[in-house]
Amino acid sequence: MPKRRDILAIVLIVLPWTLLITVWHQSTIAPLLAVHKDDGGDSQRDLTAGLDSKEYCLSDRDIVEVVRTEYVYTRPPPWSDTLPTIHVITPTYSRPVQKAELTRLANTLLHVPNLHWILVEDSQRRTPLITRLLRDTGLNYTHLNVETPRNYKLRGDMRDPRIPRGTMQRNLALRWLRETFNKNNSQPGIVYFADDDNTYSLELFEEMRSTRKVSVWPVAFVGGLRYESPKVNAAGKVYGWKTVFDPHRPFAIDMAGFAVNLRLILQRSQAYFKLRGVKGGYQESSLLRELVTLNDLEPKAANCTKILVWHTRTEKPVLVNEGKKGFTDPNVEI
Amino acid sequence: MKSQLFSRFLLLLPWVLIVIIVLDIDSSRAPLPALAPRGGGGGGGGSGGARPAAARAPPQRRPEAALPTIYAITPTYSRPVQKAELTRLANTFRQVARLHWILVEDAAARSELVSRFVAGAGLPCTHLHVPTPRRYKRPGLPRATEQRNAGLAWLRQRHQHLPPPQPGVLFFADDDNTYSLELFQEMRTTRKVSVWPVGLVGGRRYERPVVENGKVVGWYTGWRADRPFAIDMAGFAVSLQVILSHPKAVFKRRGSQPGMQESDFLKQITTVEELEPKANNCTKVLVWHTRTEKVNLANEPKYHLDTVNIELTSSEQSLKKKRASSFSLSWAPEERHQKIAR
Repeated sequence: MPKRRDILAIVLIVLPWTLLITVWHQSTIAPLLAVHKDDGGDSQRDLTAGLDSKEYCLSDRDIVEVVRTEYVYTRPPPWSDTLPTIHVITPTYSRPVQKAELTRLANTLLHVPNLHWILVEDSQRRTPLITRLLRDTGLNYTHLNVETPRNYKLRGDMRDPRIPRGTMQRNLALRWLRETFNKNNSQPGIVYFADDDNTYSLELFEEMRSTRKVSVWPVAFVGGLRYESPKVNAAGKVYGWKTVFDPHRPFAIDMAGFAVNLRLILQRSQAYFKLRGVKGGYQESSLLRELVTLNDLEPKAANCTKILVWHTRTEKPVLVNEGKKGFTDPNVEI
Repeated sequence: MKSQLFSRFLLLLPWVLIVIIVLDIDSSRAPLPALAPRGGGGGGGGSGGARPAAARAPPQRRPEAALPTIYAITPTYSRPVQKAELTRLANTFRQVARLHWILVEDAAARSELVSRFVAGAGLPCTHLHVPTPRRYKRPGLPRATEQRNAGLAWLRQRHQHLPPPQPGVLFFADDDNTYSLELFQEMRTTRKVSVWPVGLVGGRRYERPVVENGKVVGWYTGWRADRPFAIDMAGFAVSLQVILSHPKAVFKRRGSQPGMQESDFLKQITTVEELEPKANNCTKVLVWHTRTEKVNLANEPKYHLDTVNIELTSSEQSLKKKRASSFSLSWAPEERHQKIAR
């Protein structure tokens, strides 16, 4: 009976193909099924009122699958030969929140390729805390220090927050750059002054990389405003400053609102921040007016309409329970 | 003869295919979760900072399929510095392998600011929202209770459908704290509930559990050391298993005194004896309870005078319920993400 054999043969052929097809179907349909199940199970949760259970489960499951596999965790990103180096100058001083501030700043800087961090301490000697912190981050760094003499420090008594702080440290960093890099054949670079308590988005560093002379952008939370920004005309040139506090300063901009091309720093080798006799809010002008004119400024951040840096300040922590002599073990580093 | 061979070959072909596919599925199930932390010399194992390679050899050898996911529940609310806080928190979290961020807004609807932020955040993120009833918004009352509970509920509900066991660790990350990368490495090995010191809290430079012979025996804190768990929200992490096996453990409001939130929660799921001390037997500070100053907006005019509308906080945006379809949600982040990854 050839029919039986034929039937057997047909079964043997059809069976594996149906298996294959069902497996393939399962693998494509399963994720969709899961999403549908979520919508059904919402009503059973006991949550506080006001919760829209449908929106609750606008599950970012899809986003999870997509995003997860793409991020590559290299710290810091590999050095590129084509990108200009960003030299970030950060003055810092010792206080309880110092390590925290520098830690989260380092966590941000670790994302930026071709970054060189110049950390200048306001201290007599390089402290072990900073030395260890810098070494552990794995960043490309330079560790400097210079102590602000006490009579200058007293002026920075924080009653008037406009009295410049960190001036000597920034100037030291500028001098270090000029001594280290030869103005004729140095790698392209950008110099940026980053205070350790501000907040920087990663987009900011990419914006400043294309600086030819001096670039500017808006800064949030300065001057008693939501943000201060340069005024940009239709031709893409800066013609003024959108601030309430003394908009007639030559450069009414915050330290975090501009970046300078390294070549310019090396060319104008006598341009430093003015130490003495600087009115509140004029510190940035004291440097910039020796480097560039208003006309040469390059507006970034979509013609100065996006906020990419926030002038956040950290509260002084309440340490009343330490008492006069200190209670906690001073050997535990914070 | 030939036709017989031919027919036999055709017969065997689909079986061979099935065997290959089954083998492929089995092997791909293991490395699929490990696709994320590639590169950096296995530095994706959550290793904090660039330690010398020799010292870091053990974590690298660990099979990547077993890397537990860290779930960070962050309650957030609208104020001027919200976007800045979330930005720098995202910058930190993006350095950590297999971290899933659960962002819960204190709002009646998803705000545009946070939605846009989440879409471009660059890490796996779940955006939830639940408003706090107004009667609970007085000073002295515990904050963010509803938001943390919403995060817990989402996590429990999500894992109902996934096959167990999925190793995971959960911790509560407030948006103004500061986290070092080493902390994530420490918490990833949590088996039940782990604890560590927290800096700048309790009126002291730091607060920490007191550890003897690898066990927690007391609390070193400047404020109400008589609490059963005298620890800050940032000072502990719970394994996903414990959360799922205690489905009723939530943060309570009724009868909760100030400062007792953590204790009331932890005593539902663990005891002091079971706690696992991390951070070198609780002698290193890896997380700081920093707080950001309130922004000085004294010079802002009463009405919006600027010619452009720059986004800073979500309270100024009209809270239109823009429900993006799931299709656009699943595609948009990918293309934004490719720009970031470069």
